[in-house]
Amino acid sequence: MTMTLVAVALLLLLLGSSIPVAAGMALTGLILQHLYSPLPLSVMMGELAWSTMTSPILAAVPFYILFGEILLRSGIAERMYAAMMQWLSWLPGGLMHANIGACGLFGSVSGSSVATAVTVGVVALDEMKKYRYHEPLYLGTLAAGGTLGILIPPSINMIVYGVMTETSVPQLYLAGFLPGAILTVLFSLTVLAICWWRPAYGGTRIKTDWPSRIRCLPDLLPPLGLLMIVVGAIFLGIATATESAAVGIVGALAIVAWRRRLNWRMLKESFEGTVRTTAMVLAILVGALFLNVVITTIGLTQQIGKLILAWQLTPTQVLLAVVLIYLVLGTFMEEMSMMVGTIPITFPIMKQAGFDPVWYGILIVLLVQTAMITPPFGINLFVIHGIRGRGQVHDVMNGSLPFVATLVLMIALICIWPGIVLWAPQTFR
Amino acid sequence: MERFDRLARAIAHAGAIVGGSLLLASALVICVDVCLRYFFALSVGGSDELSGYALGIAGAWGFSYALLSRSHIRIDTVYSHCPAALRAVLDLVGLASFMVFMGYVACRGWGVLSQSIASNAHSISALETPLVVPQAAWVAGLCYFLLVALLLMLRSLAALVAGDRAALFKLIGSKAAMEEAQDELVGAKEAHEEERRAP
Repeated sequence: MTMTLVAVALLLLLLGSSIPVAAGMALTGLILQHLYSPLPLSVMMGELAWSTMTSPILAAVPFYILFGEILLRSGIAERMYAAMMQWLSWLPGGLMHANIGACGLFGSVSGSSVATAVTVGVVALDEMKKYRYHEPLYLGTLAAGGTLGILIPPSINMIVYGVMTETSVPQLYLAGFLPGAILTVLFSLTVLAICWWRPAYGGTRIKTDWPSRIRCLPDLLPPLGLLMIVVGAIFLGIATATESAAVGIVGALAIVAWRRRLNWRMLKESFEGTVRTTAMVLAILVGALFLNVVITTIGLTQQIGKLILAWQLTPTQVLLAVVLIYLVLGTFMEEMSMMVGTIPITFPIMKQAGFDPVWYGILIVLLVQTAMITPPFGINLFVIHGIRGRGQVHDVMNGSLPFVATLVLMIALICIWPGIVLWAPQTFR
Repeated sequence: MERFDRLARAIAHAGAIVGGSLLLASALVICVDVCLRYFFALSVGGSDELSGYALGIAGAWGFSYALLSRSHIRIDTVYSHCPAALRAVLDLVGLASFMVFMGYVACRGWGVLSQSIASNAHSISALETPLVVPQAAWVAGLCYFLLVALLLMLRSLAALVAGDRAALFKLIGSKAAMEEAQDELVGAKEAHEEERRAP
């Protein structure tokens, strides 16, 4: 009991005092080792860091980030959004569906939800005033749409979860697809419902015709096809996640070259963004994996398991407790650190309570998504507010609330029917 | 001091560009490998191993690059409510603890490298890569992080002694979400303008 308390208190104290998350987790590990372990576990730090940082599975992370960076920085993403605008304009709420769709598509390949929201947002906000949309709701679609990226494969968060818990990444990808599709539709339905209730929120209709729709197909189809190849190759078992990401990079460069936009500056900026994000994720991972080793070695995992037995918690109670904890943490923690920092403790609990590791991975991703748009601190809220550059951050928060409700509904759905998540991985095994 | 700083940033930037290039190069190799396998049922093999080394080297050199651009994640919920004097202390403590963590990694990483040198280790794969090569580049990146962190520490302490807190925050302060969004925004707006001008 004391050991659990000490561990949680240390982690909260160190991370709460704004020490870099990577260092905070490693130091928690070092102190716990000093207090409870007979073995000097820090000796392993070198081998652990080397094998983690050179893992071919993890190489998928910088590849997807680079793929996303190239799509975003070369203007491919921007043109694709403009094309989607033409094709989705007939729906009530018009552009707001394009926002959700575009954020979902680029977010799924871009390493940073911030970068995605910024790229789509810069273009989308120009249109917001032109067509007189209800601003809070419009901003909400951007913030919420930006979270879809980590659920729809390929997702960097799933790779990190897979590596930390030794869960198969392709299985996680298969599992994420159906919930991702359902959630996208639910987000769109949320917009439709609100626009049906308050037609003025939907703005004025965008005038378009078939010739202009056809004209923008060259902007839409090549990147869409590339995304299908990247995701499809993993599902059909033709390529691993790392390999399909590599194909994506080469394909994206080919499209950029075809549009005569390939230049050193774009590449350089993509490299900078990729290396910065990759290094940040890797530092946190090395710290977390070391903490993981310490926690397992000193028997903390078994102790938590015993606690659950002693309190006679049913699996449903454990699940509710974990969901609640994440919803609370999500109000103030950054998404990647929340995920990586909590998995060493919550994963063994959930596994012991009998939950499927793949299913739990998807649940965590949904909880992280919710965290990204829950006030008062949701990273996407601030990003969208920053792009807007005027008004109150409350506008974005109010606009995001319906989507927070939709996310909670989605979480309830997969808890009641786990088959939504597990059907695909069990069928295409 | 100023000159050291510029040099340190230039080296970290070069490290990031080289790391990125290595990643791109390994992506090209993998792509060729996948195409050969899919279309001609030929297997070259070993390309995933190379991508691992690219990740390790890019990551190790990226640590210092991310440190200089203040991109390592910190949870600043409490921090943002603290008075400036306390925030300066927290920044210094944060940097120091990062140095302790990376100090362990670099030190033990050096052990991994020296063992590979002593036993002339090669990877257990078709490539039989002499492990000394990627490991040396990796350890060098880790050591460079420590050097950069030390430089930042000295400069921040100097700023603190001179009473220039603004300079300290600019060097090692926590980047708020807004500030991060602003940084991204500059690039995105440029790209957007460029796209508009394009035919």
